[in-house]
Amino acid sequence: MAGSRLWPWVVWGVVFAVATAVLRAGRDTVDTVHALLAYLLVILGGSVSGGRPLGLALTLAGFLSIDYFFQLPYDTLTVSKPLDWLVLLSFLTTAVVTTQLLTQERARAAEAERRAGEVASLGRLGAEILSAGRAEDALAGIAERIRTSLEVAHCRIYAWDGEVVRLLTASPADAGADPWAPDVDELRRYAQRTDRDGWAGNAGEPAVLAALRAHGRTLGVLCLTDARPIVLDAAQRRFLEALAYYAALAIERTRLFAEAEHAEALREADRLKDNVLASVSHDLRTPLTTIKALAQEGARRGDAHALAIEEQADRLGRLVADLLDLSRLKGGVLPVNLEVNTAEDLVGAAIRQMAGLLQDRTVDTRIDFTEPALVGRFDFVQSLRILSNLLGNALRYTPPASPIELSVQREGAVLRFAVADRGPGIPVAERDRIFEPFYRPPGAPADVGGSGLGLAIARRLAELQGGTLEYTARPGGGSVFALRLPADGAPAP
Amino acid sequence: MTTPTVQARALLIIEDDAPIRRALRNALGDLAERLLEAPTGREGIDLTATERPDLVVLDLGLPDCPGVEVCREIRTWSRVPIVVLSARHSDTEKVQLLNAGADDYVTKPFSTTEFAARVRALLRRARLPPEDIATVVEAYGLAIDLLHRRVSRGAMPIRLTPTEWDILRTLVVNPGRTLTHQQLFDAVWGDAAGNPQQYLRVHITNLRRKIEANPARPELVVTEPGVGYRAELPG
Repeated sequence: MAGSRLWPWVVWGVVFAVATAVLRAGRDTVDTVHALLAYLLVILGGSVSGGRPLGLALTLAGFLSIDYFFQLPYDTLTVSKPLDWLVLLSFLTTAVVTTQLLTQERARAAEAERRAGEVASLGRLGAEILSAGRAEDALAGIAERIRTSLEVAHCRIYAWDGEVVRLLTASPADAGADPWAPDVDELRRYAQRTDRDGWAGNAGEPAVLAALRAHGRTLGVLCLTDARPIVLDAAQRRFLEALAYYAALAIERTRLFAEAEHAEALREADRLKDNVLASVSHDLRTPLTTIKALAQEGARRGDAHALAIEEQADRLGRLVADLLDLSRLKGGVLPVNLEVNTAEDLVGAAIRQMAGLLQDRTVDTRIDFTEPALVGRFDFVQSLRILSNLLGNALRYTPPASPIELSVQREGAVLRFAVADRGPGIPVAERDRIFEPFYRPPGAPADVGGSGLGLAIARRLAELQGGTLEYTARPGGGSVFALRLPADGAPAP
Repeated sequence: MTTPTVQARALLIIEDDAPIRRALRNALGDLAERLLEAPTGREGIDLTATERPDLVVLDLGLPDCPGVEVCREIRTWSRVPIVVLSARHSDTEKVQLLNAGADDYVTKPFSTTEFAARVRALLRRARLPPEDIATVVEAYGLAIDLLHRRVSRGAMPIRLTPTEWDILRTLVVNPGRTLTHQQLFDAVWGDAAGNPQQYLRVHITNLRRKIEANPARPELVVTEPGVGYRAELPG
């Protein structure tokens, strides 16, 4: 270091001496002005390579040398004429000002170079953060960059999620034992500070804390420690602040990434559950088909139990379908297809679907065919399930001789489908519970054929289409289940 | 129970599950002289090509390829009736298969008796060349004169709009066959844009009010929920 600073002095000292010697040899032929110009050149060179001290030293040497060697009387320091003073002072002023200007310019250039270096370094770091596969790797990169740039032993980055402080970066193995590690409570207290400055630890202490803030939130704490006191100049603090911002962004990225991963895991679990249910239901349907086929063969041969086997297989099939649908309804993945449909079409399909269960019973349908067809906007298949379920319940839970009515009418903006029976009705205390999954009326026979899920599914299906499903007691005895679905205002073409 | 007039030469069952194959054999045994069986889609396609069966029963859960692909492939070179067996119970799948050219669709667990009835209906339909379809279809007290575009109940003529007539004709010339909403719409309106497909259902309802004895319990024009409509002719 000392050698490299001494060299310009030696070089420019020699140049000065040589110039003096040459000019001295020819002093009878050269003018004072020539010597003066030659010295100015040497001073300029010295200032550029050796800075202000060398420039000023050469200026002083030049001043004396001109007076001594090149002004009459020669080889004395006396100035004979007042005009010679003018020459000497002009030289002095010019040389000093030039040296001063050159030095300032050099300082400015050095500062600009340093700034450019900083910008390039931050730019590289930004690119590293953006390109790092994992945000944790980016944080490790930032910590390492801070550590090496500021020449401190340890740089740690802690994440702060509002409650827990968590170390995100490990110290490199060659950093040595940490002389000063902050405890978790201190970090938490620090992270909870609301002042905007975000610095702790005064210059000269062996630890510096910096809050990592982005988008108005404290996301973590950066901690520098070293065996020596840490002294940061303005530029280093600026550098640290910029890197701290990057670190905050990287922490935010780790958090967003973790959240996204969590959401993805939830979706995956949901999908898996649905797949399992779908495949269970699929796997159950195939053997059920075989059982039904065998039962039907048995029935053809006159086996008295065959019918019961088929009925139970059907019941099992319904239970499987209901469980699958309840799970889909809970998960919100059951698709509804809202389309323009007519009430009659739905009623007809429901009666047709019940045909097997009806046997000798009848359902009175009440539709006014003199009015234009009632049109609604609903999912045909799901609404059919609701109506079939209501009709099925009415058939199962009422005495064989009692009548069942199915009526439709328009009530303002909704279509009201009502299934009414003259059965025992539902006790007041039970009325809210009938729409709960696995509910069964007290005293109902266990093998009545329902899964106990029907009304729960039906109500969810109605709500999914913007409709409702409600129970009311029927005047004169019995139950009325009313399904309301959105009517379609547009008239038929 | 069986109608002796329907006797097919050969039926092909493409199904990987042996117990189901056995159940189908028992149910369909007296409908055909010969029952062919294929446990994979590939073998099924090959047998369809070499043996030219009168009807194909196609399971969708085949180990080697999706059933809908088998259906499409067979449809590229054969008009053999195809009945699909599915365990998935989804209407969109049903629509997709019918649009791909399948003739009928049965969801597991199904009743083999009902299944045999549907196969019989398909066989009967397939045996009639298109030009042999009666020009007057009589069912449920209705007379539908396809040639003169007239419908009557007894001596009472029934007035249909052109759209209602087109729907009725399309359904009746494909008896027993479920036509998807899309297929019906294409057949009635062709490429004509502007008439919203959603009103097909309203047209059907109006048609039923005119031709069905009880429009709330239609017998001729039957709804296949979520899929489309089918004309059910007795006998």
